[in-house]
Amino acid sequence: MINHVESPILEIHDLTVSYDQSPVLWNVDLSLPSGKLIGILGPNGAGKSTLIKAIMGLVAPSGGYVKLFDKTLEEVRSRISYVPQRESVDWNFPASVLDVVMMGTYGKLGLFKRPGKKEREIAMECLEKVGMQGFAKRQISELSGGQQQRVFIGRSLAQNADLYLMDEPFAGVDMATESAIFELLQQMTSEGKTVVVVHHDIYSAVNYFDWFIMLNLHLVASGPKEAVMTEDLLRKTYGGKLNLLTKVSELIRQKEFNPLKN
Amino acid sequence: MSDFVYFFTFQDSSIAFVVIGIILLGVGSAYVGTYSFLDKKALLGDAISHAVLPGICLGFILAGTKNPIYIVSGAFFSGALATFLSSWLRKNTRLSEDAIIASILSIFFGFGIVLLTVIQKSGNPEMAGLNQFIFGNAIAILEEDLWIYGGLAVFIILTLTAFQKEFSLLVFNAEYGSAIGYPMGLIRLVFNVLMILSVIIGIQAIGVVLMAALLITPGAAARFWTDKLSYLVILAGVFSAVSGVLGTYISFVLPQMPTGPWVVVFLSLVALISFLFAPKRGVISRYISRRSYLKRTHQDHLLKALYRAGEKDKTNLSIEEIYETYPFQKKESNQSIKYLTKKGFIIQNQSFITLTSKGKSESKRIVRLHRLWELYLNEYMNIAPDHVHDSAEKLEHILTPELEQLLESRLNYPKLDPHQETIPRDNDEL
Amino acid sequence: MSFDQNAFLIIFTASMISISCGLLGVFMMLRKMSMTGDAISHAVLPGIVIGFFVSGSQRGLEVIIGAGILGILATLMIDWLRKRARVQLDASIGITFTFLFAVGIILINLLAYKVDLDQECVLYGEIAYLPIDLWITGGGTSLGPRIMYLALLNLILVGIFIFLFFKELTVTSFDENFSMVIGIPAGIINLSLMSMVSYTTVSSFEAVGAILVVALLVVPPATAFLWTKKLDQLIKITIGIGIGAAFFGYYLAYYFDSSIAGMVVSVAGIGFLASALFKSKLISGRFGTSTKQEPFEKMV
Repeated sequence: MINHVESPILEIHDLTVSYDQSPVLWNVDLSLPSGKLIGILGPNGAGKSTLIKAIMGLVAPSGGYVKLFDKTLEEVRSRISYVPQRESVDWNFPASVLDVVMMGTYGKLGLFKRPGKKEREIAMECLEKVGMQGFAKRQISELSGGQQQRVFIGRSLAQNADLYLMDEPFAGVDMATESAIFELLQQMTSEGKTVVVVHHDIYSAVNYFDWFIMLNLHLVASGPKEAVMTEDLLRKTYGGKLNLLTKVSELIRQKEFNPLKN
Repeated sequence: MSDFVYFFTFQDSSIAFVVIGIILLGVGSAYVGTYSFLDKKALLGDAISHAVLPGICLGFILAGTKNPIYIVSGAFFSGALATFLSSWLRKNTRLSEDAIIASILSIFFGFGIVLLTVIQKSGNPEMAGLNQFIFGNAIAILEEDLWIYGGLAVFIILTLTAFQKEFSLLVFNAEYGSAIGYPMGLIRLVFNVLMILSVIIGIQAIGVVLMAALLITPGAAARFWTDKLSYLVILAGVFSAVSGVLGTYISFVLPQMPTGPWVVVFLSLVALISFLFAPKRGVISRYISRRSYLKRTHQDHLLKALYRAGEKDKTNLSIEEIYETYPFQKKESNQSIKYLTKKGFIIQNQSFITLTSKGKSESKRIVRLHRLWELYLNEYMNIAPDHVHDSAEKLEHILTPELEQLLESRLNYPKLDPHQETIPRDNDEL
Repeated sequence: MSFDQNAFLIIFTASMISISCGLLGVFMMLRKMSMTGDAISHAVLPGIVIGFFVSGSQRGLEVIIGAGILGILATLMIDWLRKRARVQLDASIGITFTFLFAVGIILINLLAYKVDLDQECVLYGEIAYLPIDLWITGGGTSLGPRIMYLALLNLILVGIFIFLFFKELTVTSFDENFSMVIGIPAGIINLSLMSMVSYTTVSSFEAVGAILVVALLVVPPATAFLWTKKLDQLIKITIGIGIGAAFFGYYLAYYFDSSIAGMVVSVAGIGFLASALFKSKLISGRFGTSTKQEPFEKMV
């Protein structure tokens, strides 16, 4: 069940991505509409993070390509924002909340310029949007998990992008922060932005997102909630990995090189 | 040349002692270092080697001479202190592992340098031997030293061999070891002691700065040749011994050269050769694997082309047609034709190529795999028919008979692929 | 008490070196590359020797270029071992630096007839000779100690580097993936940092030796990190420790008649260990994320 979209904001064509010598995403084909809140679902190791990383150019695909706003990533970097997984950084780093959020403005600043009043104002605005304006001077090592997550989102807001890709922003976060973040994301989509979120929990996902991408080493489905949330498709996503696919992946991993690469 | 003979026939007993010494030292260090390497804590050895310097100097200051007992005890104390401080800092501060190791390493070493320069300036004639601890000088190993250092080395080797099970638990799965009742804390302690001892004896030959090489490089090199722990450790020992002897030889022939650097150069050479040429894991081996895989790919494609021609009722293909089907690959095509003819898959008649019955069977197999895989991608993964070809084209060469059987039963022995082409089986007519 | 000009020059130079190393070292520590910094300062040795050999007259640009090239070579070797040969990271670092350092020592011995480098000098330098090693211009005027000017130049360049690329260094140290996504050339920033470390090593080694450069790279920032979580304070404390260690190190070395560089490091080391002890016993429990319960903030 793969819904394709006219003039998509994101188009993925026959994308195969390998990680650590074996493929984790096989021939993914999908297109995404703009202005929606989109959830990427799937069991652990299904390739969800890998998909985001491939879109962001952090991992090179073995085959296929990605188009954003009908252009390559390089051409539209300033229109895309990325929120990595919280554990991907060391929160002991000596920085304040404001420092981190201001990093979102660095892309537009250019190489030798220093962040100034304008960047500070943008950062404070974004802090307000995530409810952390009182924490601006606080060191990030003193934050709780939910607060850290909000800072990361604040940073991505500071990028002022049109498309937001977030890797598990709700993981390990308290209920209150979760609803608060969700409200913010809804507000963003109502303003015309597109938000794609890797999510870990199927139950809350049903209430949050308009459009779903279901992954299980391959694309099981991509489409609006009504079309995709069926028992059959859920079983294909969560009902265990395809046995043959796993065997073939294992076979590839044992080879000293990757036969799927060109 | 006569030097070479003189050295290696051990006519001079002092040379024999040196060679034995360096072999024991090297093997002991390689054994300990390999475990450390597997534990991914290889640089801890570097820290400990630098950290023993102040202890050595302290021992010297207290003894007034290069008395091995004082020196070993001093070194041991200082090494143990450094190890203890490293764990303490890890548990009680926010500092990262690398910052802790680098700090301990340089602080202890700096303090060692202070003591060393104080000793140098004191004008004690005995101190000449002390410099050797920094850069190593195997030639200076005396017979009486050999008993102590050699004895320690043998002790280390025996302990590690006897308790291989315990130590491998330590580096591979310490939690599991705890869970099944092994005293992991004690094992860790014993291991640290062995590490410090091997550093103390190793720096005789190779010096403080380069000691890390004696610990890390043999294991890293041996890793490329085997997966089995017992072979790994022995091979590391062999590499270390060989490099040690060669390095000592150079030091013997060119007396102004310290031994340490030469041992390291030989070790690094061994490592480089391992990284490049080891079967399976070596860079060159992987390259060759890939090349032969690509050759095989091309051969398979050729067979498939012949088969597909047969589907259109063409019983053979001309060499020109083959060149056309695979442009820019004339050389590969020629090679494939030669190979396939030799193996009896095809027959060449003037400029025409035909499949033999063996060839027909093999080409059917490849086409079958291709089409089965296409069907699998299409049916089980919802991949559009026009996107399945590339993946199948790449994977048809590696799917095993076992996987083939799985595919067949999973897809229920299908007749057609997503492009409505027949999936060929052995008893079909061609 | 008369002003001891020699002491001042030595302490001043040692301080400048400490500050250069400390500034670079802060970022090396934040990137968890302290051991790589250690590796690079060992690895530049062959470059120094060859530079000395080529320039004949023992000083000059060739040495700096030689070291710079070796620094980059070392970084590339470590990278090759890790990514292409698939050797684990700690082993890649260990093998690379021991090999290059060994080559350096061998070269010192082989080229001894032309290269006036002492093995021990390489390790811990001899800053005590600083006041008599003067920079004399063509016209015969003495401008002061040569090494002092080298250190000054180094400090200025390091300062400019850090100032210009402060935000790039910070963001690539904190979150490399994010920095790549917003278009910052993280690989180039990394390589430039390594090059600055190589340059600083070679600029300082005559005074403090290649090995002790490592201590100045690592120990002051690590100590500062025990005291503060703010980046600007971290840098200031690092600088302060560097100057303090230089000052006390000089006088203690004078008193004990030992290597000055070694003593500077020992002083820094005592400061480090004392800080670790003080900070952990007195303020137990206060490390990492605190367990302060913050009132829930409503979204505006």
